[in-house]
Amino acid sequence: MTESPLGEEREVRSFGGIAVDGAPVAYIISLAGVVTVLAFIPLSVVLGGGSSFPMSQGVYPLVGWILGPVAGALSSSIGALVGALVAPYTTSVIWVTITSAIVGSFTAGAMVDGGPRRHWWIPLAALFTLSYLLYAGRAVVQNGVELLPALLGSFIDWSALLLFILPTRTLAARWIGSSDMRRVATGLFLGTWIAAGLSHLTASTVMYFIINWPNPVWMMMAPMAPVEHAVRSLIGAVVGSGVIAGMRAAGLVKPRWAMY
Amino acid sequence: MKPLALQTVARDSYFTRLDFRTKLLLAFVVSWVAFLWESTLLVGGLAGAMLLLCLLAGVRWAYVRSTLSLLLPFFGIVLLTHGFFNVTQVERLTGQHALTPWFTFPADWWGVGGAMLSREGVSYGLSVVFRTLTLLLVLPLLVFTTDVDDMIVGLGRLGIPYKFAFIFSATLRFVPLLFEEAQTIIEAQRLRGLAVEHMRTLRRWRVYARVAVPLILGSLVKSQQLEIVLQAKAFSGSSQRTYLHETHLRRDDKVLLCLAALMGLAALVAYYGWGIGSFGHP
Amino acid sequence: MGDVLSEPSTAPVQLAQVSYRYPSARGFALRDISLTVRRGEFLGIIGPTGAGKTTLCLALNGIVPQFYGGKFYGRITVAGLDTLSVPVNTLARYVGTVFEDPETQLVTTSVENEVAFALENLSVPRAEMRSRISWALQVVRLAGYEKRHPYDLSAGQKQRLAIAAALAVRPALLVLDEPTSQLDPMGVREVFAVVRRLNRELGMTLVMVSHAAEAMAEYADRVAVLDAGRLVALGTPRQVYAQVGMLQGLALRPPQVTRTFHLIGQWREVRTPLPVRMAEARPRLPHLAAQLPPSCPPPPPPAEHQSPPQLSVRHLSHTFGDGTQALRDVSLEIRAGEYVLIAGQNGGGKTTLVKHFLNLLQPTAGQVLLDGVETRTLPISTLARRIGYVAQNPDQQIFSTTVQDEVAFALRNLGVPPDERRARVRGSLTAMRLWERRDAHPLALPRGDRTRVVIAAVLAMRPDIIVFDEPTTGQDFRGARAILEITHQLHRQGKTVIVITHHLYLMAAYAERMIVLRDGQLLLDAPLRAALREEQTLAQAYLAPPQAVQLARALGQLGARPMPWITPEEVAACFAPDGGRV
Repeated sequence: MTESPLGEEREVRSFGGIAVDGAPVAYIISLAGVVTVLAFIPLSVVLGGGSSFPMSQGVYPLVGWILGPVAGALSSSIGALVGALVAPYTTSVIWVTITSAIVGSFTAGAMVDGGPRRHWWIPLAALFTLSYLLYAGRAVVQNGVELLPALLGSFIDWSALLLFILPTRTLAARWIGSSDMRRVATGLFLGTWIAAGLSHLTASTVMYFIINWPNPVWMMMAPMAPVEHAVRSLIGAVVGSGVIAGMRAAGLVKPRWAMY
Repeated sequence: MKPLALQTVARDSYFTRLDFRTKLLLAFVVSWVAFLWESTLLVGGLAGAMLLLCLLAGVRWAYVRSTLSLLLPFFGIVLLTHGFFNVTQVERLTGQHALTPWFTFPADWWGVGGAMLSREGVSYGLSVVFRTLTLLLVLPLLVFTTDVDDMIVGLGRLGIPYKFAFIFSATLRFVPLLFEEAQTIIEAQRLRGLAVEHMRTLRRWRVYARVAVPLILGSLVKSQQLEIVLQAKAFSGSSQRTYLHETHLRRDDKVLLCLAALMGLAALVAYYGWGIGSFGHP
Repeated sequence: MGDVLSEPSTAPVQLAQVSYRYPSARGFALRDISLTVRRGEFLGIIGPTGAGKTTLCLALNGIVPQFYGGKFYGRITVAGLDTLSVPVNTLARYVGTVFEDPETQLVTTSVENEVAFALENLSVPRAEMRSRISWALQVVRLAGYEKRHPYDLSAGQKQRLAIAAALAVRPALLVLDEPTSQLDPMGVREVFAVVRRLNRELGMTLVMVSHAAEAMAEYADRVAVLDAGRLVALGTPRQVYAQVGMLQGLALRPPQVTRTFHLIGQWREVRTPLPVRMAEARPRLPHLAAQLPPSCPPPPPPAEHQSPPQLSVRHLSHTFGDGTQALRDVSLEIRAGEYVLIAGQNGGGKTTLVKHFLNLLQPTAGQVLLDGVETRTLPISTLARRIGYVAQNPDQQIFSTTVQDEVAFALRNLGVPPDERRARVRGSLTAMRLWERRDAHPLALPRGDRTRVVIAAVLAMRPDIIVFDEPTTGQDFRGARAILEITHQLHRQGKTVIVITHHLYLMAAYAERMIVLRDGQLLLDAPLRAALREEQTLAQAYLAPPQAVQLARALGQLGARPMPWITPEEVAACFAPDGGRV
């Protein structure tokens, strides 16, 4: 095999595959399909009643870290849309379901540590702050919800916002890119807490316009929501670390804005 | 196993003949109005109209019933919490200083003693239920009366890049396969001694997470093959292509598009100008 | 239809000194290949896994190197176009491609959309598109299926649809990369019928990769053999398959008829060239029959298993929720230490039957008993300790991030103490020759090794019955043999082995008994040697006995005596001067 080939060497112009924002279209389709399937697996937190959420919510951020913000948001939203179409009873308000998928993946993809997109978080942070004001702020100011229940009931939302604004955002990104799988898992947990939390915030803001939960519901949410969100983040960490380890081992093509 | 697919209605009707773009705008306007209005009477009418339209369009009653029964507990909670506890907001919306009691728990009852169910609170709760219901019924009316091909072409006509429309239709194509794969993975795990039914909640979540890992990796591995297939089928992602299916706006579509836009606008003006649609007003 | 024939006068495909190396690969995937495919020709390509067959196919439509990049030497022209100078989506007008996996290559939600997809991408006008769709669907006999979802088609129909989609473009060349390797016998038959029609009746130029030696010998005009990226042989099937030694050296399989004559040739006069088709062999049989010695050594007696039944199926019926009757009144018994082959069409009920053994499905009527206890009363985890199940796709059965974790996964679930767990993991991995790779991520291993990881994980549970569900599907001859050797070892250790497969020619050397299911009913249950000779019964399940069995029967008829042989080695042994040792 050491001798050179008989034929003349040709100039190869490789165009790669068909991509959206650097992520192969086929990956976007595959992950959209996965999001749809996981929308069918409900996870209930409190035994004997209580709320449940679809497992797909735990992987929206992961889709963003694999595909990047734009392709990730596209994939998750199409996955959520198809899920809503094939089983409309799994979703209550389709626009909210899609928005929360977009926000979950886009925010995750925007949590970059350096590079040309390092400032993308700033307008997002402004938007989420506004969203928080329209949610918990409106609840307190307009609807007479007491401050403490509002703060406790929206703990996951404001904690995610805070962690997103602070350097914890880039810390999570760095950990996800680490070669140490324990760090990857921790980064995924933290990152999912942030990105899925902000996705929850956006969805809650819209839903709150419709439902306007009174005071006791905020109090009920106070202990339940963090547990539920921890599970969401745990799902993100367990699924994400398995997937990232597998993608690295199998040598799968890495999309341009992938963070792992 | 039947593939998971859209439950496209069997009946040919006015709705099935409408263009997807018309229906999309209608869905937007109805959603917008449901979002805006809080008047129990008006959103009740809107929800009723949506239900009627769904049934007229051929959406099966069994589907509507199962959707409603799934949401019944949620509606119950909404009615009770607003009825009992939503005082400040309802007082502000109605401009009243006290709400009309409908039912009060005896004062000596533990925990709930003295709690009052207000007429206005229940009414507000009902409006929330109707708004949610309207938003919920928009989807089957839009989707079940439209062929997937018409959606794809319609999206293209709306200026959505073909690439995106293709991702949507390819996802619909591959979802049934992924479901089968998820089933196979779950079976394989059970055959390795995992007894989900006997597990504590936390452990069960981990098991579900472990289903997702091979599912995602398997589909990513396969997607490399899909890339090659798309290349071989001359797919370039470009919107410069022809379509087997065609769709065009007919006269009815154009009329409805104008009507829908006007209705959306009128609702906005009426709400902010005269308070029509706000809670406590007609 | 005329368009198909009106191709440029030049040869549709010319490869001149083509070499190619994938980016970041060390070796060449293709090396110094020069080859011309003639107009209207059916060129078969064979070679072991990794020989470069798929790379060659992808080079014909420009995907190699335009999609992958890498280093490319030499020149390929297709319909007069240089595959490096013309974009892939232009080349797609001239080259239609059909791939192995029936699922991944169908990308739309209906049959007509699938055929239209490439045409739409090529901006073919709507009216023209309609006529081409109806023509292509007619050619592959799928007219009337236009509105069906691909999910509703059988695997054979899916591949025919893929062919129709490629055909609608009216390409100068149709490339088929192992289009039948994942199909059941009926699917294989359907696809080959279409391919033959395209070639013979429409004059379509075809390049087809396939491990199906018998079919290749029947239909191909020429066969090219690739090994390590090089073209090592090229000629008519007769010229290529007659080089039995060369093929064996590459772990390739000649048609059984060729191998049988080759083996007989060691001792008797056999005219060359060796036959590669049954039709060629038949006229030569009287000459051979005349050379049969007065008596042949008797076949080994069927294996006897006296133990009480381990698995008993009694009047088992199963109806799925949608009303499909998957099993109807099936009764059978499997004894400890048996090696049973279960064959039949997809949808015939094979996997449904096995799922009842494991309580993954429960009988609609009847019973399934494991050592006298109804399986529906036992937890799946208990059954899993007794019955190991190795499904076809290893990637759906791997859940952990290291090989040893994967093997330990079940043991942890089953509460095996840590010391014993470690010992079992080590033993199991050593038996599968994977101990050295214990810390690797399973996905970093090649597919054959991943299958062995799954087998190791199943063996670690120490089951006494092991079921292999289509273990040879999608494998080349070497890979299939490697897995079957494992089943053989397990059988020798006293395990009960159940293999579900369509590949009867591979099983003759392994299985003792054959069960055939058709439309959910038990069609045949007999010792393998007897079962393989039930030609008419097998035909009802679209199965055909291996060529060696057909040869033996024909020889027996000519010699007026029974010839119960089922492998080329057995048939040839009859001609050995020492009376039976090959």
